[in-house]
Amino acid sequence: MRLPGPIADSKLLEFQVCDVQNRRIDSPKPLRGQVLNTVQNQVAGKHGGWDARGPHFNRNIEKIQTYAWEITKSGQHYLTLSTGNARKNYMPSLVSSHKMIKVIKHASVMSPRSLSLLLLTLANLLIPISIFIFATGFFPYKPFIPGRATFQDPNNGGQLASAPFDKVIFMVVDALRSDFVYSPESGFKFTQALIRSGAAMPFTAHATSPTITMPRVKAITTGSIPSFLDVILNFAESDTTSNLASQDTWLAQLKDKQGGKLVMYGDDTWLKLFPDTFLRVDGTSSFFVSALITLGINPDHEGSPHTRSCLTRSTNSPSPHMVPKQSEMDGIVEQIYRAIETEEHLHSTLFVLCGDHGMNDAGNHGGSAEGETSPALVFMSPKLQTISQGSESPVALPEATFSYYNTVEQSDIAPTLAGLLGFPIPLNNLGVFIPDLLGFWEKGLLLQNARQILNIVRGAFPRLSFSEAETLDDCTLAMSAGETLSCLWFDAASLVDVPSHIDTAAALHALTRFSKHAQDVMSSTASNYNLSRLGIGIGLAALATVAGTATVSTALLETQATGLWISLVFTAYGIMMFATSYVEEEQHFWYWVSSSWLGWLLLKRRNAATLPGSLELWFAASLLVLLRIVRAWNQTGQKHAGEPDIARTFLPAHNILLWLLVLVTYLDVIQRLSRRAVPWASRHLATAASLALGIAALGFKVAFTKADAPELLEGLGYLCVRPFEQASLVAQARAIFTGIAIMMVLTSFPAVYQRVRGGRETKGRGQLKPIGKSAH
Amino acid sequence: MTETTEAKPRKLIPISQPISVLPSDIARLYTHLHPIIILTVYYFCFPYLVADPVSVLFKALAPLAHLQITYCVVCLPQSSGGSTPSPTSSKGPTTRKRVQFAQSAKSKPTSVGSRITPAIISLLLCLSLSAPLLTVILILFGAPLTTHFWHNLLCATHISLLGVLPLFYVHGVNARMWREISGACLPFDEVWGGLVGAVVGAWLGAVPIPLDWDREWQKWPVTIVTGTYLGWFVFRFAGEYFLRGKRIEFD
Repeated sequence: MRLPGPIADSKLLEFQVCDVQNRRIDSPKPLRGQVLNTVQNQVAGKHGGWDARGPHFNRNIEKIQTYAWEITKSGQHYLTLSTGNARKNYMPSLVSSHKMIKVIKHASVMSPRSLSLLLLTLANLLIPISIFIFATGFFPYKPFIPGRATFQDPNNGGQLASAPFDKVIFMVVDALRSDFVYSPESGFKFTQALIRSGAAMPFTAHATSPTITMPRVKAITTGSIPSFLDVILNFAESDTTSNLASQDTWLAQLKDKQGGKLVMYGDDTWLKLFPDTFLRVDGTSSFFVSALITLGINPDHEGSPHTRSCLTRSTNSPSPHMVPKQSEMDGIVEQIYRAIETEEHLHSTLFVLCGDHGMNDAGNHGGSAEGETSPALVFMSPKLQTISQGSESPVALPEATFSYYNTVEQSDIAPTLAGLLGFPIPLNNLGVFIPDLLGFWEKGLLLQNARQILNIVRGAFPRLSFSEAETLDDCTLAMSAGETLSCLWFDAASLVDVPSHIDTAAALHALTRFSKHAQDVMSSTASNYNLSRLGIGIGLAALATVAGTATVSTALLETQATGLWISLVFTAYGIMMFATSYVEEEQHFWYWVSSSWLGWLLLKRRNAATLPGSLELWFAASLLVLLRIVRAWNQTGQKHAGEPDIARTFLPAHNILLWLLVLVTYLDVIQRLSRRAVPWASRHLATAASLALGIAALGFKVAFTKADAPELLEGLGYLCVRPFEQASLVAQARAIFTGIAIMMVLTSFPAVYQRVRGGRETKGRGQLKPIGKSAH
Repeated sequence: MTETTEAKPRKLIPISQPISVLPSDIARLYTHLHPIIILTVYYFCFPYLVADPVSVLFKALAPLAHLQITYCVVCLPQSSGGSTPSPTSSKGPTTRKRVQFAQSAKSKPTSVGSRITPAIISLLLCLSLSAPLLTVILILFGAPLTTHFWHNLLCATHISLLGVLPLFYVHGVNARMWREISGACLPFDEVWGGLVGAVVGAWLGAVPIPLDWDREWQKWPVTIVTGTYLGWFVFRFAGEYFLRGKRIEFD
C-alpha cells in the first residue's frame, strides 16, 4: 500500500463512494481523491471545495463527522475520500448521511496496514510449515528390514537343493534402452545371435521412476523399489550414508557365500555404493567419463563370481556414434561369452547384460517416459539352451513402446539371481522370480520367494495376522490392499501346505498371484502416503495463499492493468500445475507469457506516446527477437525432446560460429575481470592475471571438448594447443578452479575489510563497484 | 538527466470514433449473417484443415476474401479516403476537437460499384502490408520459423483477411488512424472488435499445443487458426454490443 510522505506513519483507509442516493456515478475507473489531513477537514469542506450546500447538508455532515471521529478515535486516523467529479456535482446536495455512514462503516472493516502486515507474516510462516508437513506425508515410509537373509530363517523358506550357476558376470551399460540391443539397427549382432540360439533370454526390465542411476542400482541389487528420496541421494554421491553396504543386496549375499569374491571394473558409483565389498576394483570417475570410454577387457578368472560394470554415456540416441559403441559393447559380450564357453571353470557362469535405465530421444533420463523406463535385460549362458528354444531376433520396435519380449520389473533381477545362484533372497526384496527361468527347478522356488515377500508385507501391514481368520471367500471382495494380500496368501498357503499339491499348476498360480499382487501393492507409493498429513499440508498452503492474496490484493487493484496481468499469470500458472503435460512443458508457458508481456508493453508505449518512439520500438522488437532465439536454443521438455534446435543442431553444424561465440564470451569475462578484479593491485597485474586465467579456462574447454565431443572441433584442429591436450583434464580443472577461488578471495576480502573498517554505508551499491572505481 | 528535463511522452489523445454499420436493412441483416456463415464454413472445413493445413488454408483464401469484401461493401461505411493530417497534431495539444473520420461516407450512400474498388484496394493492402507484418509477429511470438514457413504466412493472411481488411476499408490509409490502430487506442466496434478478437484468439490458440493429448489437431497452426476464427466471432459481437465505444486501458 502506498502512503504519502507526511502521514506515512498513520493508518490509511480507502473507500469509494459508489452510490450517492441511488445515483451511480458513471466512471470507467474507480474515483480517487486526495488524502486530506483529517477527516474533519474533509467532511466540513474546508479543503474540499464543496461549493453548494443542500438543505440537509449541515445536519448530515454533523452525523458523518461524529461517526468519523469515532473511527478516528478508534485508531484509524485518515480517510481517503474517493470522489473525483462526484464531489463537485452530487456530494453536497445529494449526500445522505445514512449512505455515507454505510460507506464509512464498510471502509472501516477494510484491511488496514497492520492487518496486511500480519497476514503477510502469517503467509510466510505458513509456507515452510505446510511444505514440511506435506513432505513428511508425501515421502513414503518404506518398511525396511535390517540385517541379512539366511537360509536358517524360517521366513525365508529354506535352502533349495540345486542352483544351476555358481558364478555371475553382471554387466551394466548406462542407459541401455531395450531397442539398443533388440532392434534391427542395433550393433549387438552377437547378442542377437545368442538370443536366436536360445543361449540368451531377452527381457525388457521395467525401471520405475526416477530413472537415474543410483535408485536403479539400488533396485537391481536389493530388489526393493526406491522412492524419490533416493534422487537426492543420487546427487549426494559423496555422502557415505547413502551406500548400500549395510543393506541386504545380492552382492552382499554373494560375498557371504562360501568363498565368495567380487571384482568390479568401471564406474565408481558402484564403489561408493558398495564400499569394501569388492576384492579388486578398477574404477573410473563417472564425471570425467566423457561420451565414449573404452574399458580394457581382460577377463581373468581367479576370483568368482565377477561383477562387471561397464559404462557408456552417449549423447544422442540417433547419433552416429551409437552403433559403433553398441558394436564395441557387443564385442565385450562376445569376449566374455566365448570365455564362458571355452574355459572349464566358467561353465557354470551366468552372464547378465542390463541397462540401469533407458533414455528419451534427446538422451535424457530421469522421468517416466516409455523410453526412459525400458532398459534391456539379457541372461546369457550355454546352459540356458536347456530351458529355452530361442526367440526371434532382431525384432522391429513394438508399436509406440519399447517393450520387447516379456516385460519384467527391474526388482525381479535380485530374486532371480538368488534362485539361479542359490543364495537367500535379499530381505527387502519385492521382486518376483522371472517365470521364464523357472525351468531349472521342479519345486519350491516360488514358495521361497513368496515367503520372503510375505515377510515385508507383514512389516507394511502390522495389524494383519495373515491367518485364516481374516480370509474371505472371494479375495476381490477384500476391503483394503492388506486384506486382499492376506486373503491371497492364505489361498496360496492352503494349497502348498499339502505336499502333493506343491507342484500343481494351481499352487504355482496362487503363489505367483500373491507375489505379483504384493509387488504391485508395495511398489505403488500411494499406499504409503500419509493422507491426513497431505491434507493438513495442502490446507495450510491454501491458507497461506489466501493470506498472501489478501495482502497483495490492494496493491494489485491499485496498479490496474499490470495488476490484472500479474493476477492472470499467477492464476494461469496455478491452473497449469494440474495438467501434467504442462508441468513437463512449463517452459512453453513462460515463453508464451513473456512474449505477450513484451507485446503488451510495446502496445502500451505506443498507446501512451505521441512521438513515434522509434528507439523504444526497436528496443522492444530486439527483446522479442532475443526471446525468440532463446526459445529455439534448446528443445526442453518431453514432447519435442530431440527435435532440432540451435544448441544441438545448428551450432554443431556451424562450429566456427559456436567457437566465435565461446571466444567472445571468454573475452568479455576477461575484460570485465581485468577491470574489476583485485582492486588494490595495479591494472596491469590484474589484466595479466585475468588473461592467464581466461586463456587457461579456454584451453581447458577446448581440451575437454576434444575428449567429450570431438565432432564440435571438426576442421578446427588448430584450436587444440598441445600443452592443454596433454595435461590431464582433472588437473586442469583443479588448477582453474583454484585460480578462480584465489581471484575471488583477493577481490572480495579487501573490499569487505575496507567496508567494515570504513563503516560507511554506500546505499544501493554493490561491494566492488565503488572500490573498483577508486582504483582507477 | 535530471527529473525536470526528462522528456515525458505526451499522451496520445485518440480521436477515432466507433464505426456504425450502414443504415440499410440488408446491411444490418448481413452483418449478423456474415460471421455465422464464415464460422459454419470453417466448421465443415476443419477435418480437411487438420489433414492438410497448407493446401486447405491456401484454397480458403479466395472464398474468405470474397466474403470479407462482400461484407465490407454491403455493411460498412467507406473511408473518407486520403491521408488527412490530424487536426490535433497540426494545431497542438490545446485543440481537443474530435473529428469524425470515416463517418463522412455515412451521409452519402454510394453505389455498390463505387464501393467495390476501395474494397479491392483494401484487400491488396492487407495482403501486401499486414500479412507479412503479422507473419513476422507470429514468428516473434514463437511460431516455428524453419519448418513451418508457409503455415505461418497463410495463418497470418487469414488473420489479416479477417481482422485487418475491414479496418483498411473503413479507415483507409490515414496516418493518424493507423497510429491509433498500432497503439490499440481505437474504440470498440464490430470492426476493431474483430481484429482484437482475432489476435487474442490466435494468442490463446497456442494454449492446447503442449498438452500430451496426442491429437492430430494439436499440430501447428490448426489451434492458432481456430482460435483466430473463434476470437474474431466472439469479439465482433462483444465489441458491437457490450464494449462499444470503450477503449483498451493500458494503465
